[in-house]
Amino acid sequence: MTTQRKTPASRIKDTDVLLQILDLLPTSLFVKDENLNFVFSNEAHCKVIGSEAEKLLGLSDADFYPKEQAEKFLAADKSVLNSPEAREFLELATSTDGSTIYSLTRKARVVTSDGATYLIGSNTDVTEMKNNEIELEAKEARYRALAETVPVGIWHLHENGKTIYVNPFLLTLLGMTEGEFLATAPKDFLTAASEKGVMEMIGSTARFETDLMARGKVAARVLVVSSGWLNNAGVAGRSVMVTFVDISKVSSLQTVNDEITRLNAELSDKIKMLRATQEEMVKAGRMAQLGQLTATVAHELRNPLAAVRTSAFVLDRKIKGKGMGVEQQLQRIENGVVRCDDIISQLLDFARTRPVQRKLLDLDTWLAKVVEEEAAKLPAVVTIECMLGLDGLVAAIDPERMSRGLINLISNASEALVGKGDELHGDASFVPAINIESGRTVRGIEISVTDNGPGITAENLLRIKEPLFTTKSFGTGLGLSAVEKILEQHGGGLEIKSKPGEGARFTAWFPLIETLEEAA
Amino acid sequence: MARSLSILVLDDNIENADSLAELLSMDDHKVKVAYSGQEAIDAYRATPFDLGFFDVMMPGKNGVDSFLEIRQERPDAKVYFMTGYSAEDLLKKAMEGGALGFFGKPMDLPLVLDVCQQAA
Repeated sequence: MTTQRKTPASRIKDTDVLLQILDLLPTSLFVKDENLNFVFSNEAHCKVIGSEAEKLLGLSDADFYPKEQAEKFLAADKSVLNSPEAREFLELATSTDGSTIYSLTRKARVVTSDGATYLIGSNTDVTEMKNNEIELEAKEARYRALAETVPVGIWHLHENGKTIYVNPFLLTLLGMTEGEFLATAPKDFLTAASEKGVMEMIGSTARFETDLMARGKVAARVLVVSSGWLNNAGVAGRSVMVTFVDISKVSSLQTVNDEITRLNAELSDKIKMLRATQEEMVKAGRMAQLGQLTATVAHELRNPLAAVRTSAFVLDRKIKGKGMGVEQQLQRIENGVVRCDDIISQLLDFARTRPVQRKLLDLDTWLAKVVEEEAAKLPAVVTIECMLGLDGLVAAIDPERMSRGLINLISNASEALVGKGDELHGDASFVPAINIESGRTVRGIEISVTDNGPGITAENLLRIKEPLFTTKSFGTGLGLSAVEKILEQHGGGLEIKSKPGEGARFTAWFPLIETLEEAA
Repeated sequence: MARSLSILVLDDNIENADSLAELLSMDDHKVKVAYSGQEAIDAYRATPFDLGFFDVMMPGKNGVDSFLEIRQERPDAKVYFMTGYSAEDLLKKAMEGGALGFFGKPMDLPLVLDVCQQAA
C-alpha cells in the first residue's frame, strides 16, 4: 500500500486549516442550519455575540440578542432561506458589553451536496460609518434649521438654472411661495444682472448691490453675496450659493440721508435767495425812497421852473418888436428850462417804482413819429435813417416812457457823433449818421440805434450802464440807467455793442405783449 | 381876436400862479388867481369861470378834489390840470371826473394859449 502524502495545497483544503483561516478574519462569519441554530461561528463572530464557539452550537440569535432584535434577525434569515440570492441587511445589534453596533450583514442560502440547507452570514461593523452618517445628518439638520431661520435670503442654484434650495426668508422677501419662485426665471429676480447674464454675474461676482424684483416690481434692495461656482460632490455640474441681505432699510436710511443733504442744499439756496431778496428789498426800499425823493424834488423844481419859463415867455411877448436885443438871453433861459426838465425826467425814469402805463399802439408808426420829432432837434449835420420792420405790429407799451428811452438813445448817439453843438468829430469827409431799425426776434421786439461815432472803449462799455457813470462834461450819468430801467419795466433790456473806432449799437428789446389783458 | 374868457388859475406856488395869470391876461382874458383849493371852491361858488388851470399837488385840499367839489355845484366847469410830476392816480380821478386834460410843468405855453383860444 502506498502512503499518500498530503500536498500543502490539499492540506489547505483540510477543514481544520480552513477553520483557522476563518478565525483569523476580522469579519465575523457564521453558519446556521435550516432551523437557524448556529453550526459554525468564527472568532470574530464569537466576539460579537459574546460566546465561545463550542457553547454557541445549537443555539440561535434568540439566545444572545434582545427579543426584538433577535426576531428581526430571524425574520431576515427566513427570507434569505426562501431566496436563491444573497441579501444584505443593515442591522442594529446590542453588543454583549451593552453598546449598540451597526452591522452590515450579508446572508446567503447554501445547499450542500447531501441536500442539507444552511444559512451563511458575515457581519461587518459599520458603527463608525453609521455614526458619521448620523452626525452628518445632524449637521445637515442644524444647517438646514439655520438656513430656514436666518434673516438672510439663501438660494442654492445649479448652473443649469434649476433651484436646488431656496430658504423661506428669500421667499418672504419676494412675497412668493416656493412654487412661484421655482416657476420664475433667475434673471427676473435680478434685473441688474439681466444684461450680463445672471448666471455669469452671480457665478463670478462675489458681492454686489441690486434691486430684488418680484413680479416686475422692486421687492427689496439687497446686497447679493455669491459663493462663486462650487463643485458638487456627487452631483453633476456646478452650483452657486447666493445670499441676499436686505439693505432696503439701509437704503432708506441712505435715502433719508440723501434727502437731508438735498434739503440742506435747498435750504442753503433758499437762504442765498433770501439774502438776495433782502438785498433786492433794501435796494427796492432805497429805490422807493429815491422815487419818493425824486417825485418831491421833481414837483418842487418844476413849479419854479414853470414860473421861470412862463415869466420868460411873458417877458418875450412884452419886449417883442422893441429892439431890445435880449432874444438870445431869453432863448438861453428857455434852453436852461428844457435841460432842467430833461434831467428831472431822467431822474424820474430812473427812480420810478410805479408800474408802466401801457397803451396799445402801432409800434412802427409810434417809432417813426418819435424819430421824426427828435430828428428835428438834432444838429443838421447828423443824418438819421429809420428802417421800420414791424409791419403794423400792435403792442402794449408805455408810450411816454418808451419815447423818453428812445429819445435818450438818439440824443446819446448824436452827442457821440457831434457833441452838444455842431462841431464834427474826425475829418471833413466824415458823415455822422444814426441808423434806427425795428424788427422782431425770438425774444420779442428789438429797436436798435446805431451810430458811426468814435465807439466805446471796453473799459467804459463795462460801466456804461452804471447809474451816475458819464464820460461827458455834461449830463447826470443817469440817461442809460433810465433807459435800461424803462426797458426792464417792460420785461426787456438794453444791449450795447461797440468797439473803439467802429461806432456803437444800442439795442432796446422787450417781449411782445399784444393785449392790455396780457399786460395786466 | 377871440373872445375874452374868465379864467381861474389855481396854484399854491405864487410865482407860478401869477406868471401864468399875467400871460393869460396879455391875451385879454379876465384871470382870477387862487392859491389854495378852498379859495378856488369859494371863487367858483361866487361866480362861474369859462376855464380853469388847476395845479394838482397842493397842501390842504388838492387840485383834483377841489375840482370834483366844484363840479358838484357847477357840473359844466371846464378845467385843465397842471402837474410837476405825473400823479397817475389823481390825474385818472380828475379825467374820470370830467377834466379836459393836463399839462406837465413847466408847461408848453403856446399849447396853453391854444386851448384858451379853442375854448373862446
